[in-house]
Amino acid sequence: MAIKTIEQFRTEATSEIESAKPLYAQVNNERREFTDAEYDQAIEDLAQSKLDEQDNGYKRARQEAYPSVGDQLDMLYWDKVNDTTTWKDAIADVKSDNPKPS
Amino acid sequence: MAGSLIKIAETTVSSATASVTLTGIDSTYDVYMVSLSNVVTDTDGATPIFRVTKSGTADITANYDYAVKQLRTDTTFGNNAEVNITEWKSNDIGTNTGEVLNMILYLFNFNSSSEYSFITQEISQISSSGLHRARQGGAVHTVASASDGMQFLISGGNIASGKFTLYGLKK
Repeated sequence: MAIKTIEQFRTEATSEIESAKPLYAQVNNERREFTDAEYDQAIEDLAQSKLDEQDNGYKRARQEAYPSVGDQLDMLYWDKVNDTTTWKDAIADVKSDNPKPS
Repeated sequence: MAGSLIKIAETTVSSATASVTLTGIDSTYDVYMVSLSNVVTDTDGATPIFRVTKSGTADITANYDYAVKQLRTDTTFGNNAEVNITEWKSNDIGTNTGEVLNMILYLFNFNSSSEYSFITQEISQISSSGLHRARQGGAVHTVASASDGMQFLISGGNIASGKFTLYGLKK
């Protein structure tokens, strides 16, 4: 998937926020529609969130998917005993399931 | 009695709301506490974010730092830290039954015009992956000006329900 720029994400976010209107704010239990400035900020927040997901989402997904340190040490031990590649294969699977965008 | 919690503001969300703001922090108390109970989103995998408010308006400048310990039930605990970002954030929450966020924040120096605004945070939640996560740590807004409240949002989604309460700790 092609890497997108923040400007491309802003365009996407603008479209999504436009179609989600009206958005509401609740301030000390008073409910009202967003101001223009709040809509602008919602677009920026969404665009930055998309950029962050593109740039860092795969890292978080890998963190979630890696086996615990204990399990990895156990894999390494049995790999040494049995001359297998269980640990390397497990790590490679996580990386390939959650590829770095390019 | 000193140390008692004095309720200052409370709002309960019961229909889709993009942001919740609690204000009312002034010189009355030295330390304030915010409680979020059973916060649910309408967008799977969305990230809860929160900011300080200055005169009722969220500060969106890139002056938010945080460092937290992620306590996980499924695997090894982890550490997370970021500096100079435009908001503080929590783990993703989802839309399945039971995927909720509960959080306590203690707020320090918020009324000071010459010191940074600090918070400590404790979170207990079911994340969007359906697993229990806890989070403990601290954060700072590195702007030496008074903050009068907090704003809470779900990036790219709405808060579907939840209760948000601001307390002062009686001196």
